[in-house]
Amino acid sequence: MKILVVEDDKTVGDYVRRGLDEAGYHVDLVGDGDEGLRRASGRGANYDIMVLDLRLPKLSGIDVLRTLRDRGLGLPVLVLTAQDSVDFKVQALRMGADDYVTKPFAFEELLARVEALGRRPKAIAPPVLHVNGLVLDTGSREVKRDGKPIELTPKEYAVLEYLMRHQSRVMSRTLITEYAWDYHFDPGTNIVDVVITRLRKKIDQSKEPKLIHTVRGVGYVVRA
Amino acid sequence: MTVWYATALILSIAVFAVVLYFARRSATYQDLDRRIQSEADLTAGILAESYHARGTLVEKDTAGRPVLTADVAAVLEVVPDYLLVTSRDGRLLFASPDARALTFAEFEQLNLITRPPAASGPQLPGQVRIEPNGPTLHYIVRAVPDAGDQFGAIFAGANTQSAELRLEQLLLTLLIAFFVGVVPAILVGGWIAARALEPIDRMITEVREITDGRSLHRRLPVPMERDELSRLAETLNQMMTRLERSFAALRRFTADASHELKTPLTVVRAGVERAITRPDVPSETLAPLEETLQEVNRMTELLDSLLTLARADEGRTELHREPVDLREILEEARETGELLAEHAGVGMEIRLPPEPVVVSVDRSRLRQLALNLIENAVKYTPRGGQVSVELGSHDGRAVFTVADTGIGIAPGDLAHVFDRFWRADSARTRTSERAGTGLGLAICKWIAEAHGGTIEVQSRPGRGTTFTVGLPRG
Repeated sequence: MKILVVEDDKTVGDYVRRGLDEAGYHVDLVGDGDEGLRRASGRGANYDIMVLDLRLPKLSGIDVLRTLRDRGLGLPVLVLTAQDSVDFKVQALRMGADDYVTKPFAFEELLARVEALGRRPKAIAPPVLHVNGLVLDTGSREVKRDGKPIELTPKEYAVLEYLMRHQSRVMSRTLITEYAWDYHFDPGTNIVDVVITRLRKKIDQSKEPKLIHTVRGVGYVVRA
Repeated sequence: MTVWYATALILSIAVFAVVLYFARRSATYQDLDRRIQSEADLTAGILAESYHARGTLVEKDTAGRPVLTADVAAVLEVVPDYLLVTSRDGRLLFASPDARALTFAEFEQLNLITRPPAASGPQLPGQVRIEPNGPTLHYIVRAVPDAGDQFGAIFAGANTQSAELRLEQLLLTLLIAFFVGVVPAILVGGWIAARALEPIDRMITEVREITDGRSLHRRLPVPMERDELSRLAETLNQMMTRLERSFAALRRFTADASHELKTPLTVVRAGVERAITRPDVPSETLAPLEETLQEVNRMTELLDSLLTLARADEGRTELHREPVDLREILEEARETGELLAEHAGVGMEIRLPPEPVVVSVDRSRLRQLALNLIENAVKYTPRGGQVSVELGSHDGRAVFTVADTGIGIAPGDLAHVFDRFWRADSARTRTSERAGTGLGLAICKWIAEAHGGTIEVQSRPGRGTTFTVGLPRG
């Protein structure tokens, strides 16, 4: 699947390209609106998704979008915008954008939206996660340890799912918070500690081996 | 305004009347003075003339009392008013008919005054009231120098009644003029003032409508006549043009700033996120990265709040409204609230009504409002305290309250809690808590008001604080 990224900031562009590259996409990066429009609508263009920054040199993102749609091209477009304002997003959507991500964005969010636009099955997340007897079914949202069902609240489930999905990797409290909580509300990272305490009671208490581990000053990791 | 004009009018007419009255009065008395003076002079002249012609002018009447000779008395008889002539030894020689008409007691009072003056210079007029109910006389006493030694003094007096009568008439006339003139003047003045102010009233209404933030492109109609009103309208229009321009500049600045600040933040975030999610990073490297990531999020939150408030100042409310059961919002907030409360060692209770409370709101903004208030309540409540959230309906409004048993807010600070960057005395918050952006309650106020609702706070220091949000239903 081929993605065209139009972003004038080199660091952000490189970051998006590398990230999508690692997720298995073929990515081309261009730095201005003119070039982006030429590559997207030129002869032999075969991109499946366009990631478009709205503020670009030469031709603005909105103009690229309008021209694309005027030419009758239905290429799905994911807009990157710095403006967290409803009317601006509405304007972008009216101009024919399919979705948007607000800067600064968590890469995970960008990836999720690209996946949704590409209508690819979420292969990265296996439907059932296993860590040494702990089983989490992302389809039915059921959690079991050693065959015994465990009742979790929505936030407990979200935190555990995130840690199990990235098992054996230290996940920072900020990343965990971002995943489990709404973007508009930052509850502070202390709240993660409370959730972890609860999870430990339900999952690790009087069980061996312990699966949830603390990394001081950083966050948590789930590993056997 | 009309009242002021009327007062001024009444005052000036009153002053005019008083001045006129006193001027008239003094003129009348001067007339009176001249009259008695000339009567006295005339009498003295007649006596002097007769003396030069005939010598003695006094004879004895049948009772043996000295009197003026009959022919001279006949001449003096025609002099009006009160006229008395006395001999050098103070005996009455002549009295005019008016004087003779007085009673004996009254007449004696005149007789007493009529003493020969000490010097023969000009005499000042005097005034005397004849008791008990005789006339008030304006009089003059003079000597008779050129008529030998037979005469003592001449008394000439005039009744002031005639003068007073004229003054009273003047006063009455003024009073009538006052009512006939002032009452219609006030009525007409009020009408004229209302007519003159009506276009200004209209202008005020229109300016209010224009400057509520959304119709700044509109302008006032400028009246055709080149008068103060048209200049006022033009001036206001120029002011609105400048306002519109500065708002446009602010809008542009807001957009530019958000982009210019957020792009570097995105870059920082991208770098940190890449580094922090690499599988082989040692934990001593992870810790500062995690701190950086936290600060990036904090800055992003601050920036978003600032931009939201800047746009709100412009009067642009950006809400994605849909019918929402507020119970769902609070149900969603419940777990987060309980986690925050558990961490702070505070009890948390959320009471929801059995029936739906449906309001047309922006779901994510309402969630933000609820969580901000809950977080705030938990933050300012000491361990062992209680936070209660309640939802209900009242007078066709959805009302939800967040009450705590915390440290409360000093009465002097209550007015400022919704101010931007306002913070209670920082010593009173738990030091372990991360400080907020200082914009949380300002954002809450904006969210409530953007939905056409209200937010209020009641607090007693040491007892706790209650925030009440009211949202219109329908």
